[in-house]
Amino acid sequence: MARSEDTVAGSPPVSASTTSEDWRDRLHRFSKSDFVRSFPYWFIPFSIMGLGVYGGIGWNTLISLTDYEGFRERPDFTSPDLEMYAQALQDPAVIVTTKNTFILMIVFTTVTMLLGLFLAILLDREIRFKEKIQTIYLLPMALSFVVTAQFWLWMYNVNNGLVNVLLGVFGLGPYNWIGNPDLVLGSVIFALIWQFSGYAMVVFLAGLQSLPDDQFEAARVDGASTFKTYWRVIIPQLKSSSVSAAVILLIFALKAFTFLYSMFGQYRVPQATDILATLMVREAFQLQNWAYSAAIATILLVMSLAIIAPYLHYQHKQGSL
Amino acid sequence: MANLSLRDATKTFNDDGDEIVAVDNLNLEIEDGEFLVLVGPSGCGKSTTLRMVAGLETPTGGSINIDGEPIHRQTPQERDIAMVFQSYALYPHMTVYENMAFGLEESSDLPDDEIEERVHTAAEMLGITDLLDRKPGELSGGQQQRVALGRAIVRDPKVFLLDEPLANLDAKLRAEMRTELQQLQEDLGTTTIYVTHDQTEAMTMSDRIAILDGGTLQQVGTPMQCYHEPANVFVAGFIGEPSMNFFDVTLEDGVLVGDGFEYPLSEEALASVEGTTELVLGIRPENVEIGDDLSGPKEFSGVIDVIEPHGNENAVHLRFTEAATDETFTSTVDGMRHLTGGQSVGVSFPEDAIHLFDGTTGEALRNRIVEEVEQVQEIGTK
Repeated sequence: MARSEDTVAGSPPVSASTTSEDWRDRLHRFSKSDFVRSFPYWFIPFSIMGLGVYGGIGWNTLISLTDYEGFRERPDFTSPDLEMYAQALQDPAVIVTTKNTFILMIVFTTVTMLLGLFLAILLDREIRFKEKIQTIYLLPMALSFVVTAQFWLWMYNVNNGLVNVLLGVFGLGPYNWIGNPDLVLGSVIFALIWQFSGYAMVVFLAGLQSLPDDQFEAARVDGASTFKTYWRVIIPQLKSSSVSAAVILLIFALKAFTFLYSMFGQYRVPQATDILATLMVREAFQLQNWAYSAAIATILLVMSLAIIAPYLHYQHKQGSL
Repeated sequence: MANLSLRDATKTFNDDGDEIVAVDNLNLEIEDGEFLVLVGPSGCGKSTTLRMVAGLETPTGGSINIDGEPIHRQTPQERDIAMVFQSYALYPHMTVYENMAFGLEESSDLPDDEIEERVHTAAEMLGITDLLDRKPGELSGGQQQRVALGRAIVRDPKVFLLDEPLANLDAKLRAEMRTELQQLQEDLGTTTIYVTHDQTEAMTMSDRIAILDGGTLQQVGTPMQCYHEPANVFVAGFIGEPSMNFFDVTLEDGVLVGDGFEYPLSEEALASVEGTTELVLGIRPENVEIGDDLSGPKEFSGVIDVIEPHGNENAVHLRFTEAATDETFTSTVDGMRHLTGGQSVGVSFPEDAIHLFDGTTGEALRNRIVEEVEQVQEIGTK
């Protein structure tokens, strides 16, 4: 014999009065729920952030659909079209800067990561004065872009920069690192690598130090040489370190505007180092082509998302998101 | 197929100027195909010894030889050895197949199809063929353990080194793997050193046991020798579960005087301890007999303290009635026998079962009667 409490799922419909009580009861419980009670705390930061970031992105996208330029009139939202995007895709300036952006992104990220990995491996192999070396390499990361840019501007000086002085010892140069269009992008990338390889190293070092010694020992007993041990056993296990380092570096490469602006002191940077970010700022704040600049900004945003999406997917797959 | 020898192998570590001796002048000969278990409490130097043989530690003195060839200056890559780690140390990013093939790919010039064949043969032997495409993270502890073994077997090395390979398994699986490992080693006939802190593993699996304490070798022998003819107090106490009972005694006019009992020695036993008066009397729990009444000079009155039932047998903790301290000793009796806590009983120590050790050096002066030992020893060595 089933007791009445046992038959909740199959119980017949209850009377109307019970339903309204039910409803009131549910409302009461809802008002006591964590969601409602925590509302005042999360809603304010959430709405400020939402307005600032997503509102900004939305506003920017909206402007990119108009023909807004100059200061004379307000933007006209009546006939939105993709004209600015069509124009951007045909603009040789956009094509050149996109190419530069990619070169900067790929060369900078690859070299920085390889250098960081190399330094991390050296450090991991128990070099003495470990702590000090770690700080020395991480120090550039703590410097602002402005300082790094100014510092390297002096280093690259044609007449008395340290780089040319050093090369002069070997009878080379002097090279015009900044003035020569063939060299300037390389010089900029080198300076950025200098600033960021310490960061990459720290990320890789953390990854390396989380690996137990027995992985190295097992590989040694298995007959693998030191190189093969790293190549086949250790480095493949640094995948998640590599992914997080790569994402950060790629994003930094996209927003290298700060660095270039600090280095050259103006919106118009040498053409060989002109990237999408500098073009965007120039179009907006030098030429007042608001709509066109907004379109370039959207293109940049899409590129950033394209970089981050695989990372998020990877994190999701690993179950850490 | 190889025999391995350690001659005066020594390892000292430097800890801020202090020298710590991990292994002290260790001499061991391991015959071709032999299963030697290195056993001892943690910190006794057994793992360091194994790592020296593997080449992961460099001995600070002495030599290590395989078939008479010194190998202690070679890198691990140059020595033809395979090692199973306590943590298994499987490569998490590789499949089981890749894990097992890795050693062959790195250490030999075998063609790919030969490697594949050997991996499959080893996998079949261990019953892990259907796991070959999986990654270690998807395997249970027991399966990972098999893969770790497979990785060593595939190499077909001169020497297997096993570092507490069963320590991370649960009790039931451990007992199963013990038998299986032993069987496997017998089939392969590869010289093996097995490190463990578990005396049960040492007793049940080995051809010979080497017992280490504080970096020095205490005794090498068959399990039966170590059990019945321990070289000193340490070995006697370490081997056997529950461990041997020890009583500090003084020899006075042919009688051992201890706390709460006096034990007269026979002429023959007296001769073996000649000259020493401070002694330790040892007796295994299964030799402590519990009777109801007292008769004879080698029986004493005792009180039962606690009984631990094990089903087939009971471990009975007793005290001498006349003892000044609360110290208990253990006796194992038949599981069906009815005894209760607080009960007064008679306890006897048969003389042919007692061990006598030097009270200061711990050295064994007299072990239990020898004829019996030789018999069991024959069974032990097969």
